[in-house]
Amino acid sequence: MNGTAVLYSIIDGVLTGSVYALMATGLTLIFGVMNIINVAQGIFVILGAYLSYALSVHLGIDLFVGLAITIPTLFVVGIVVERLFLTRIKGPERVVMSILVTYAVSLVIEGILNLVFSTNYVELHAWYVDRSVRFFGVYVGYIYLLGFAMAVVMLGALYVMLYRTRFGTSVRASLADQTSAALVGINVKRVSTICFGLGIAVTAAGGMIYGATNSFNASSSYDLISRLLVIIVLGGMGSLGGALVAGIMMVTIEDLVGVVWGPVWSNLSFFLILVVVLSLRPQGLFGKQSVRVA
Amino acid sequence: MLRVRNVWWIVALAVLVLFPLFETNPTWTGIGVSALIFMGCATSWNMFSGYSGYVNLGSAVFYGVGAYTMTLLADHLNVPGNGDLFWLVPVGGLGAMIVAIPFGLIALRVRRHTFVVITIAIFFVFQLSAINFSFTGGTAGLQLPYIPWLETNFNKPFYYVALAIVVFATLLSVAVRRSRFGLQLLAIRDDEDRAAGLGVKVFAVKLVGFTLSAFAVGMGGALYAIFLGQIYPQFVFDPIFDISIALMAILGGLGTLTGPLLGALLLESTQQYLAIRFSNGSIYLIVFGALFLLIVLFMPQGVVVFLGDWRTRSRERRAEGALVASDAL
Amino acid sequence: MKRKTRLFRAFGVISISLASLTTMATSSGASSSGSIAKGQPVLIGASLSLTGDFSGDGVAFQQGYKLWAADQNAKGGLLGHKIKLIIKNDTSTPTQVVTNYQALISSDHVNLTFGPFSSLLTLPAAQAVNRYGYAMVEGAGGAPSVFEAKLHNVFDAALPVANGLVPFAQWLASLPASQRPKTIAYATSTDPFTEPQIPVAEKIIKAAGIKTVYYKTFPAEPSDYTSIADAVAATNAQVVILGTVDVPTVSAFMQAFEQAHYNPKALIATAGPDQGKTFINAVGAGNANGVMVPNAWFGGSSNPESQKMVAEYIKKYGGTAADVNADVAEAYAVGQVITAAVKATKGFSNAKIITYLHSGVTIQSVLGSVKFNSLGENNQPTAYTFQWQGAKFVEVNPTKDPGATKILFPKPAWKN
Repeated sequence: MNGTAVLYSIIDGVLTGSVYALMATGLTLIFGVMNIINVAQGIFVILGAYLSYALSVHLGIDLFVGLAITIPTLFVVGIVVERLFLTRIKGPERVVMSILVTYAVSLVIEGILNLVFSTNYVELHAWYVDRSVRFFGVYVGYIYLLGFAMAVVMLGALYVMLYRTRFGTSVRASLADQTSAALVGINVKRVSTICFGLGIAVTAAGGMIYGATNSFNASSSYDLISRLLVIIVLGGMGSLGGALVAGIMMVTIEDLVGVVWGPVWSNLSFFLILVVVLSLRPQGLFGKQSVRVA
Repeated sequence: MLRVRNVWWIVALAVLVLFPLFETNPTWTGIGVSALIFMGCATSWNMFSGYSGYVNLGSAVFYGVGAYTMTLLADHLNVPGNGDLFWLVPVGGLGAMIVAIPFGLIALRVRRHTFVVITIAIFFVFQLSAINFSFTGGTAGLQLPYIPWLETNFNKPFYYVALAIVVFATLLSVAVRRSRFGLQLLAIRDDEDRAAGLGVKVFAVKLVGFTLSAFAVGMGGALYAIFLGQIYPQFVFDPIFDISIALMAILGGLGTLTGPLLGALLLESTQQYLAIRFSNGSIYLIVFGALFLLIVLFMPQGVVVFLGDWRTRSRERRAEGALVASDAL
Repeated sequence: MKRKTRLFRAFGVISISLASLTTMATSSGASSSGSIAKGQPVLIGASLSLTGDFSGDGVAFQQGYKLWAADQNAKGGLLGHKIKLIIKNDTSTPTQVVTNYQALISSDHVNLTFGPFSSLLTLPAAQAVNRYGYAMVEGAGGAPSVFEAKLHNVFDAALPVANGLVPFAQWLASLPASQRPKTIAYATSTDPFTEPQIPVAEKIIKAAGIKTVYYKTFPAEPSDYTSIADAVAATNAQVVILGTVDVPTVSAFMQAFEQAHYNPKALIATAGPDQGKTFINAVGAGNANGVMVPNAWFGGSSNPESQKMVAEYIKKYGGTAADVNADVAEAYAVGQVITAAVKATKGFSNAKIITYLHSGVTIQSVLGSVKFNSLGENNQPTAYTFQWQGAKFVEVNPTKDPGATKILFPKPAWKN
């Protein structure tokens, strides 16, 4: 067992895992506040990546600078989608219906992306994407450090918003109990819409990092969404801190297993650990106790 | 009342039975086979998820386990490429039921909303296991003996076996619905805590329902394996299958009897037809997604309920009109 | 009352949908008789992955089929009949592939069928068309599993997969001891296309005294490749063989190698670098320099038919010869095989075509000579290794081949 390789696994786990966490945070926030499972989150990440791609290739705008455009754009897209489709979901089977509706939306967006960008694989390029810096004996790509920094900043901003602003208090109230929140006078509908928009806006950032570290096309969204769903289950649905921990855990465990036993076992081991955790704590690491039945 | 209802079911069955005799083009009977398999799976899925309210998005586990069980057994017993393979289909169903037990033991301990996502996670465990273990053939999958029947006659036996599975699943669903067990499931859907308070052994009931729902889905997977001739892990453990089955039942009408049947028939046929029709892949996605969206948003309770309501409403309107007309006299 | 109306409605909808399915259908019965009325076009059907996992290659294949059809039509079509291609999208799934071919044969009444993309889809497709007695000439189903089924109607115009790395391995082994690398790392994804190739190469390389310092399989979709790539980099192996099936995997490895400041003396990947412009876009111009890939064809091939095809491709889609995806050539070769078979059997009878193609005849195509063994594999020794040298994609192995350029060894440093 190579000590450097283990060290690298941990470093990579934290860096890459936090980017995954960033993408998953939107998902868990949306579920917590709105009881909606947004299966379109994966395609939104890709949309964010494609937007960064278009800005970079056609307008020459740097990837990080371009975020100033892509994040608000996706925020607006999120709000539009929410208003157009999600507010119509009524009835007792809200969660299930949300899966169906968001799945349909993801199909349409995938078709549009295929039309506009074709199915050829692309990747985001910048001078810092391929360079690296030496860090405790291992090389770490700049892009990963920058991605981690950005994830920290955005998650931090989210935290500040949640705990230091009045809007954030409304969000937390809705997260805890929607009925009571409404009774106290919180405009739950408005909170939901803005949260959805936020959840999607955050994926623009995650999408850019994803696009810089992977070649992608529209069909890459499927693997993404499965990972994101798994992260929020492990972390506890509705828990933002949980998403961060779970995201980091996922990549770290997979990397460690890959180093110790062999990469073939990484995915499987992670899922087995997931199953074990869920058997003992069905609500996930930081999920609400009320979720348990048995 | 009972007799009248049964007549319609018999007529529908007759139509389905006679269909391949009139329509000999294998394209349509082939789509029919797929549609029937989905109808059976959707009905079986609905029997647990529709009645109990616990939406299972990992049913592809049952499908895939059914396919692999059957294929491994066929390989082990050296079954030749002919009709004998069909005898192993129920074995696939049994394999799925056996797997459902530990699956249910883990997943059924959380409330409904988290249950949905846990089933997805467990699904991935199975898919990845199938890919990584060598006895399942890894990514190269497993092959079944080639059945040399001519194409004009190839689809028919599959069609009828699939139809038998649908009939079985429907009858089982009816039996459950009318039994005390079914009432317990419905009680769980309405208010689980209250049901527990009234003495329903909630966990046991859910587990039994969950396991029962695996049987027909496993058989569907096994039948499909024979139809295609080989199985690959990413196609028999397919997340799209998970969503499709749930979709079909919900689209048709969650918890109803005819809903899943209708939903599966419409959705599967439409999807395959659209794919044949629109060779431009992107347009196909957009059309399919948009259609889907419209149906889900405007008929959220499912086609069957929507049509039933529509018929009642138009009747009421006509009755009102008659009243108004008679007033005017 | 409500229950009754609901069931009535249900029945109504079921019978309406069945009736509409029936009216959508046309008369049944595909003719494999082999004759087409004068003035009628010859219909050729294929199912390709235009969306989904294999969409990148599916689209390239479509370009190849279309290019061939256009060229052949310019020469008067097949036996005087104009060629009409009917291509359906199989969304990269086996269910749709089977439905598509059934539809093509039973509803669209195609006379001939071309293969889909990917060994995973070729097998169910071949079985389906075999029941109709149709031949399936294809260019993308080369994994051993396709031939294990021993179907009589499958003909793979492209190279069988397992021996792809042999020329490269032989070249390594042939280097004089002073130049020969001492260590090698193998990393392959779990895929029926890549996995068989590695042991074949390793045997040759090990016998030449090159030590295996890393040999691991990785899952098809890991959350990220960097730790695997880093493990390879940590071994400091002088040569790396990657078993990859697509561009994203190769580019992820290359990016990680670059960040780890690890530059092996030779790097070869089983697929990805052969995808022309798509590959360059993904890894960045300049980084591709020195990367090798086994294949049966490349844009700069001196084969006259190939050069003509490449010229036409560039005219239609722009770019340079190096940008042309190998899939295009494989698809084109499929068309050429059918052309030869149709001409020789003087008709469109699938049975006669199958017999002809199994008769040991050699056909010339953009891929070079094509000759099928009893399993349908094209066992002409046409395995080449190609390398990116600057912006050019050139043939480097077998070194004694007249078309070969001198190999760029050791691999130049990464550029940003």
